[in-house]
Amino acid sequence: MWLYIKLAWRNIFRNKRRTVIASTAIGIALACLLFFDSFIIGLEHNMIASATSSFLGHAQIHRQEFRHTQEPAYTINNPDQIMQSLKQETIVEAYTPRTLSIGMITSAANLNSVLIVGVDPQAEKAVSKVDDAVRKGDFFKGQKPQDIVIGSELAEILEVSLGERVVLTLAQAESGDLSQDMFRVSGIYHFGVREMDSGMVFIHIKKAQDMLNISGQVHEIAIKFKSLQYASDDNLAFWSKYSHNGNEALSWGELLPDLKGVFEMTGVFRSVMSLLLMFVVIFGIVNTLFMSLYERMFELGVLRAVGTRPWGVMKLMICESGALAVLSIAVGLFLGLIITGLFTITGIDYRGIEFAGSVIQEVVFPVMKPFQFIIYPIGLLLFMVLVGLYPAVVAARMSIADAIRKSL
Amino acid sequence: MKENTKHIIATKDLRKIYKEDGLEVEAVRGVDLTIESGEFSAIVGPSGSGKTTFLNIISGLDTPSSGDVWLKGRLLTRLSGNELSDLRRDNIGFIFQAYNLIPVLTVEENVEYVMMLQGLPKHERHQRVLNILKQVGLKGMEKRFPPKLSGGQQQRVAIARAMVSRPALILADEPTANLDSKTGTALLQIMHDLNGDTGMTFLFSTHDPMVMAWAKRIITLKDGRIAKDDKKN
Repeated sequence: MWLYIKLAWRNIFRNKRRTVIASTAIGIALACLLFFDSFIIGLEHNMIASATSSFLGHAQIHRQEFRHTQEPAYTINNPDQIMQSLKQETIVEAYTPRTLSIGMITSAANLNSVLIVGVDPQAEKAVSKVDDAVRKGDFFKGQKPQDIVIGSELAEILEVSLGERVVLTLAQAESGDLSQDMFRVSGIYHFGVREMDSGMVFIHIKKAQDMLNISGQVHEIAIKFKSLQYASDDNLAFWSKYSHNGNEALSWGELLPDLKGVFEMTGVFRSVMSLLLMFVVIFGIVNTLFMSLYERMFELGVLRAVGTRPWGVMKLMICESGALAVLSIAVGLFLGLIITGLFTITGIDYRGIEFAGSVIQEVVFPVMKPFQFIIYPIGLLLFMVLVGLYPAVVAARMSIADAIRKSL
Repeated sequence: MKENTKHIIATKDLRKIYKEDGLEVEAVRGVDLTIESGEFSAIVGPSGSGKTTFLNIISGLDTPSSGDVWLKGRLLTRLSGNELSDLRRDNIGFIFQAYNLIPVLTVEENVEYVMMLQGLPKHERHQRVLNILKQVGLKGMEKRFPPKLSGGQQQRVAIARAMVSRPALILADEPTANLDSKTGTALLQIMHDLNGDTGMTFLFSTHDPMVMAWAKRIITLKDGRIAKDDKKN
């Protein structure tokens, strides 16, 4: 076998220009695949981070019926006990309780339906980025119970600015009686997501509990893990531990199935991209090997004449395909590492672009994973050897007499 | 025809018909021939006389349309592709008109190629290579690549490659065609000496009067048939 490997390696350098062109083309295809894959992973990380860190959190706990009904009566069972337990969890970095209710906000000029979120300002800061998104005023610095933080688009609809008064109306839990109170705009936030900027307001949790008549109760506990990876681990004991007594603990993937669906779709894109690039490889390698084969027909005929078995010629051609693959992989890894590595430093700025219902809020940094530099090159090597079987079979089945007709 | 082990090659009513553009061309027309072990013979004839086709068939590179061919007593038409490859590897040395060395292999690697296929141990291969290169006057050129050699030197390497595995039969197609007469004579002398020393059978296909002069038997092919078969005393 060593003989064929040596022969193959030397053979591919007989026509240096052709080998350089073929290996560069295939190498570029591999580099594109590495870059595209790294970019998609970076984009996914970015979108997950945008979706989870802006408001959602990595995971949430609710009363089982709450998510589907949005009924304010469905508060979490034993919230204090749960929060005490969360405080002990080593994987939990922070958590924040919230109340959630649909209501009406009214100003002197206009009105709008909104999701009224009761928050604990200090706990909220540790989990979400609402405070960072505040463009005017502040996020409950004053500790005044009548403070309200609204979105920028809602402020435009209501034609209000900082310090102006608005009225919130909501239905109380259990009784359904209307509860109304006046608030003063203390902050205006801007996330860049229309649904949030026009339809979500934040008030003190104590005030919200009073209005809803659910003293001490909450609808949601948003959790931030020490690592996002915990949220992707379906086997984490955390989920079962907090999914009992009528409550449910869900990861961001279950809370945002659409986003998870988008990632599954990007997986398909990656496969299609891989397939397209493999076509480049097919034409590159088949063309190169056939050119090499027809140029050396006579020589291969001589090898067969002196006793090389058909399988020996096949091995030689497969080794040549493999040698070209090794060269292409070296080129591809080098280019892929340089190009992708460069963008992992500079990033790609798609900030503000809304994709699959989530706005890209940070610069996208491609993420290079070790598997990309192992699996893809091995895949390419195997694929090229597989594609090389075609010219190898042609070479093995050639008529020796035809191949050496020029001589004997 | 009963195979005779004294015959290195035997053919009976050997025929080969090609189809070209729908037309049938009979290149070999019922050739009966035996070549005995140790012969130093030449097949001669004008272009298109069937020399090439005949040599292709007796060496197992091509198949006959009809008739039988035996190589060292083995009926070639009954052998598989791998068996034919092994038979050529172990019994036939080829010398081609255009040298046909593998340009990416050194002189030593070219010469030892067949022995590698045979699975001989490295030290034995190396020793045999050194001996044969010394015999053909190429001592010290083991590490050179063929493109760096002259035509005569390349043909010497080809001879060394053909002979190093000690085959029973050497088939040489116009071995002197691309050489000047001095180099050609020197190579023929080498082959003649090896024939005398080792008893290897040599069968040339040639137009060269010089080769014919060295040959001890001249088989003349014409229109696919043996027109003349002269043995010198």
